[in-house]
Amino acid sequence: MNAEVTILWAAAIATLGIYSILYRENPVSRLLEHIFVGLSAGYLVFTTWTQNLEGKWWNPMIHDRHWYWIFAPIVGILFYFIYSRRLVWLARLVMGLFFGTAAGTFFREFFPLYSPQIYASFKPLRPDGAALMANPGAAWSDVLLHNWIFVIILLTVMSYFFFSIPHEGKFGRNLGRSSLLGRWFLMIAFGAMFGNTVMARISLFIGRMQFLLKDWLGHYLTWFAGRGF
Amino acid sequence: MEKREADSFWQRMQQIPRYYIYLLLAGVVVWQLLWPIRLPIVPSSASQGLYDAIRAAPDDKLIVISTDWDASTQAETGPQTQAVINACFQLKKRFVIMNMQPPMGVKLSNDIATELAKLYGARYGIDWANWGYKYGYGNVLMAMAKDIPKTIGDDYYGKPVTTLPLMKGVKNIKSVGLVIEITGLSAMTETWIGLIQGPYQIPFGAAYTAVMAPIYYPYLDSGQMKGLLVGAKGAAEMEALVNRPGSATTIMNVQSWAHVLIIALIVIGNIGYLLARSQTRGRER
Repeated sequence: MNAEVTILWAAAIATLGIYSILYRENPVSRLLEHIFVGLSAGYLVFTTWTQNLEGKWWNPMIHDRHWYWIFAPIVGILFYFIYSRRLVWLARLVMGLFFGTAAGTFFREFFPLYSPQIYASFKPLRPDGAALMANPGAAWSDVLLHNWIFVIILLTVMSYFFFSIPHEGKFGRNLGRSSLLGRWFLMIAFGAMFGNTVMARISLFIGRMQFLLKDWLGHYLTWFAGRGF
Repeated sequence: MEKREADSFWQRMQQIPRYYIYLLLAGVVVWQLLWPIRLPIVPSSASQGLYDAIRAAPDDKLIVISTDWDASTQAETGPQTQAVINACFQLKKRFVIMNMQPPMGVKLSNDIATELAKLYGARYGIDWANWGYKYGYGNVLMAMAKDIPKTIGDDYYGKPVTTLPLMKGVKNIKSVGLVIEITGLSAMTETWIGLIQGPYQIPFGAAYTAVMAPIYYPYLDSGQMKGLLVGAKGAAEMEALVNRPGSATTIMNVQSWAHVLIIALIVIGNIGYLLARSQTRGRER
């Protein structure tokens, strides 16, 4: 049995073993789960070293004599002072540095990320030439319908999240109706998302079945199905 | 959990043991994998948008394919990567693979590109390259925006990227004509759009697992995203566009029949619920 066949059988047994959880919780499935987690973690460490640390940190420090890179792990070690009551301030220093960097990056991301979407929300309810140009190939009536649906859903869903006004009195009751409609739209969206989730999960299952039938049992099934598989 | 006693056919229909449902689903999948009844695949405008974006990418610029996926989503992201790389090779666009998280994607996508490169006679370092796994998310992208060779350093094989002919003239993010993010992780897109697409107006396209795709449609509507592949369906559509049916086409065919079964089960369950409720109410009266 060569290495390729061994790997194939190991993968097939692992797949079947993991799927045995569908019947009930069992030690085989749990063992394979731990192996998978361990493999992923080990691979992460290996790849981080070979693809990042070795070339960016170790080699410059050792071979190119850029000695100052020694400070990088020292800064990293400061995180562990979180376990010392007396020296915890050292951990806070480095955490503050990271929080600041992350917050700064997020601020930088925020406007390019969301401002085009806010701008795109202002859709003309009577589409003009510019609106038609933005939707090449679409008929005027299609753009009109799309824009109306978009604006109605946007406003009603936003009204659902408007909690400051009680649903009493004339305005409040109308807000309540809009909010109810918004809730329905949200439910439809969640339904669509759940449908996609089902699709994704079945794709993964089909992927494994494809492996089991095509790669693993493929040779034996060719004659059974009456054609090349 | 306390078991309810089934006293009618419709109540029993609501309590089908889950093993039967699993077996039924497995049966449909095996049936369609062995004896497929082919259904047509019509590319959506989102998939067409990504194909058009690849076609429109300038020849003197690189396409960056960020393959941020691993074995857990391989059934969807693997065929997506394959279809996107097929499109790049077919349209003779130079591309690079890179990976920021999880690191398994760098090897899995490298295997796909290596296999396809043999089919098209494409050469590593000239027609395509692998920048490898680069840890640091936003920091990597911000640094890439200013200086790509310095940020990337070595490629997947440990060779300095500056030695690759493909990298000749590549300085900063302006040398990139299109970014395609293939992932099952949600945070990656925000980083790419917020730090690269928005500030530098670099065209951006994506391929996501079907679970996470719905939340990204607004980016498509606002024009921040040129195109989008949604799960195995999107991969199958891209395979149709490049006229190279592969595993995603098979998956989608099987999937359609699996969905028919699930819809039927949902309908039976709901009819059962409504009829059982009306029977109970009738008895109460």
